Amino acid sequence: MKSRRRTESTRGRRLAVLAAIVLSVGMSVGSIARADSPHDVLLFLSLEGFEKFSAADPAQEEFDVRSTASFLYTYNSDRFRFLGEYIWSDTEAEMERFQGAWVVDDKTMLWFGRFHTISNYWTTEYHHGQFMQTSISRPGLEEWEDESGPMPSHITGAWFEHEFALERQSAINFGLSAGKSPRFEGQELVAFDILDPSSGHDIAVTTRLVYRPDILSMNQIGLTASHNDIAVASDSNPNLVDLNLIRQKTYGLFTNWKWEDWRLSSNWVYFDIEMQYGAGIVDDEFFLGYIQAEYEVNDAWTLFGRTEFGEGEDDSIYLQLLPAVIAHRQMLGVRWDFADSHGLTLEVADTSRQGANLMHDHFKELRIQWSAIFP
Amino acid sequence: MECHLSVRRHVVQLLVSIALMLPMAASLAEDAVVLVTRSDSSVEDISSLDIRKAYLGISVTIGGNSIRPIRRQEDDRLNMIFLQSVIAMSQKSYERRLISMMLKFGTPRPIEVDSGEELLEQLASSPGAIAYMWKSEADAERRVKTIRVLWQER
Repeated sequence: MKSRRRTESTRGRRLAVLAAIVLSVGMSVGSIARADSPHDVLLFLSLEGFEKFSAADPAQEEFDVRSTASFLYTYNSDRFRFLGEYIWSDTEAEMERFQGAWVVDDKTMLWFGRFHTISNYWTTEYHHGQFMQTSISRPGLEEWEDESGPMPSHITGAWFEHEFALERQSAINFGLSAGKSPRFEGQELVAFDILDPSSGHDIAVTTRLVYRPDILSMNQIGLTASHNDIAVASDSNPNLVDLNLIRQKTYGLFTNWKWEDWRLSSNWVYFDIEMQYGAGIVDDEFFLGYIQAEYEVNDAWTLFGRTEFGEGEDDSIYLQLLPAVIAHRQMLGVRWDFADSHGLTLEVADTSRQGANLMHDHFKELRIQWSAIFP
Repeated sequence: MECHLSVRRHVVQLLVSIALMLPMAASLAEDAVVLVTRSDSSVEDISSLDIRKAYLGISVTIGGNSIRPIRRQEDDRLNMIFLQSVIAMSQKSYERRLISMMLKFGTPRPIEVDSGEELLEQLASSPGAIAYMWKSEADAERRVKTIRVLWQER
C-alpha cells in the first residue's frame, strides 16, 4: 500500500502559495536588469515527482511531489561582496546562505556569515541550484543536514580563500573556514541558527586544497579535511541518551573532470568519529564515496549514472543515528535541456537506506523533474 | 578591327564585373569583429587570454584599470562568432559557466546590453570597459577605439 504523504488539496494550496511567491520574486527579478548594476539575481525553480517501490517491503513505498524555488542575490563593489540564497519549498523556507566578503585582492577573499561547508564538494559546486546539477538526486554522502546528510552542510563563521597562480594558467586554491557547526537533534544534524546564538552549537574547522590545471576550465581535483565538534541534544531521541558530543573528522578526495563529451565527478570521504558518552568514548570509522559519469549526447541530451558505495558503514554506530541516510545507490538517468534554461530529467535507482538496527531498507526509486533558471 | 572590338568588349565586361563586385567586397571587409574600449581609455592592448578571463568572470587589471566586459544581446551572429572564436565555448556552456561562478562565489556576470547606444553608454562609464562589435560599427563611431581584431572572415 502506498502512503500518500499529502492530500491533493494541501499540495495544491502549497503549490499556489509557492507560485505566488515565485511570481512576485520573478517580477522583482525582472526589475533588476543586468545593466551596470552591482546587484544580480537568479531564480531556480524545480518540480519533482518521486516514487519509491519495494516488492519485499510495501511499507517502504511512497509517492510525493516536491516543488522548490531558490532565490540567489549577489551584490558586488570593488572591495565588498554579498551573497544571499533563500529557499522555499513545500516543506521548508530558509535562508541557506547569508555571507559577505572583503575582497582583499584579485586572488584573496575573506567571507563572513552563514555559508556552505567548503569541504563538501557537491554542496559547494551546486548549492541549491537544482538546474545546475545534471542529476535530480544528490549523493547520500552530500545530502543536506535535514535530509539525513552525515556531514555538516552549513557553517556560520569565517572563511578564507586564496588562489595561488601557477605556470600555464594552472592554479591551486586554498580555503580554510572556522565557525559554528550543526547540532545533533532527533535523527539529523541541525545547522546553527543565527537568531538563536545560545543554542549550544560547537565548533567546525574545515579546509580544502584544489588543483586546477587550467583556470579557464572547470576541471579540478582536491583534498578536503574537517574537524567537527557536534553537540548533541541528548533528550531529543532515546538513542542519544548519555551521548554528549560527536567529534567527527573527515578526510576527502574529490574530482570533477571533463573530456570532450564525457564528465566525471567523484568524492571519497573517510570518517573518523569519536562518540563521547558519559560512560566513555566509542570510536567509529567508515568511508563513503560516489562516482558520477555523464555523457553529453548533444547540446540537448545528457545520459548519466552514479554509483554510491561505502566501507564499514553498514555497522557504523554514528550512521545508526541517521536511519534515513542513503548508504548505497545505483542510479541511471537522462536529461533533456530545452528552451535555453529548462531541463526535464528522468532518474531510476536501486537504493539502500541505512535503516534502524543494522537493517538496511531496500527500494527502487523513480524520479522525474522539471527544473529551470531565470532570468 | 574585330580583334580590337573583342578586346574592348572584354575590358568593359571586366570593369562592369569589378564595379558590381565592389559593394560585395566592401560587405566582406565589414565581416570582422573587433574589441573596443572608450576612445580615451588607457587600455591599449589586451591579450586573447585576458579577454577570455574577463568574459569568464576572472578578475583582469590592465594599467590600473579593472577590466569590465560588456556583452551584446541583440545580435545573435555577433555573439555566436565571439563565443566560438574568442571564448571557445558554446552558448550553453558559457551561460552555465557564468551562472556557476555566480552561484559559488557571487562572481559578477558581464554587463549585458540590448542596443548599440546602450553599449556606447556603458563603454563611456568606465575606462576599463571593453566590448566586441562589428569593425564597420567601430570605424564609424568616434567614441570608441579598436584595441584588437578578434575575428575576420576569410
